[in-house]
Amino acid sequence: MDSDGVKNAIIRQQLQATNAANARTLIENINEKCFERCVPKPGSSLLSSEQTCLTQCMEKYMAAWNEVNAAYIRRLQQEVGNQTISST
Amino acid sequence: SSSDFSLDQSDIEKLNDKDKAELRRFLANEGQRAHIQSQTHELTSMCWKKCVTSSTIRSGALDKSEQTCLANCVDRFMDANHVTLKHLESMRQR
Repeated sequence: MDSDGVKNAIIRQQLQATNAANARTLIENINEKCFERCVPKPGSSLLSSEQTCLTQCMEKYMAAWNEVNAAYIRRLQQEVGNQTISST
Repeated sequence: SSSDFSLDQSDIEKLNDKDKAELRRFLANEGQRAHIQSQTHELTSMCWKKCVTSSTIRSGALDKSEQTCLANCVDRFMDANHVTLKHLESMRQR
């Protein structure tokens, strides 16, 4: 492998690691929040209404994550912009 | 070319200065990206509790009020952080 190949391998490995950690955290949070919301009184099996709630909750949480991410990045960009302006 | 395998020291030593510089830039960016993702997880967890409150979930999509609440939640959290920091400064100067 040459320098370029090593560089790309490192980049690929790092991206895989970051993305895997992100996915893991997201699923952990979904499991916690959606179990809390959808299975308030655990019975001897999951009702089909509870299963439906869980899958909808999962999609909803992912949509919420995207919304929060976008708002957060927007706000960070604003704050950087304000800092730049105030330094002139 | 070979598929991904564990990189060892002899591979790292093959990196030329140009590629090292590019890697440094990439890793700095990645660090920032990972930090933003981690903050997003925290914020989503907090804001979900505040904004998605109905006892039953009827759909996999956010409704308009939930969307607005989530965006507001992020902004108000950042504002609250500023208040805390500002007051901490004033406490230090007493």
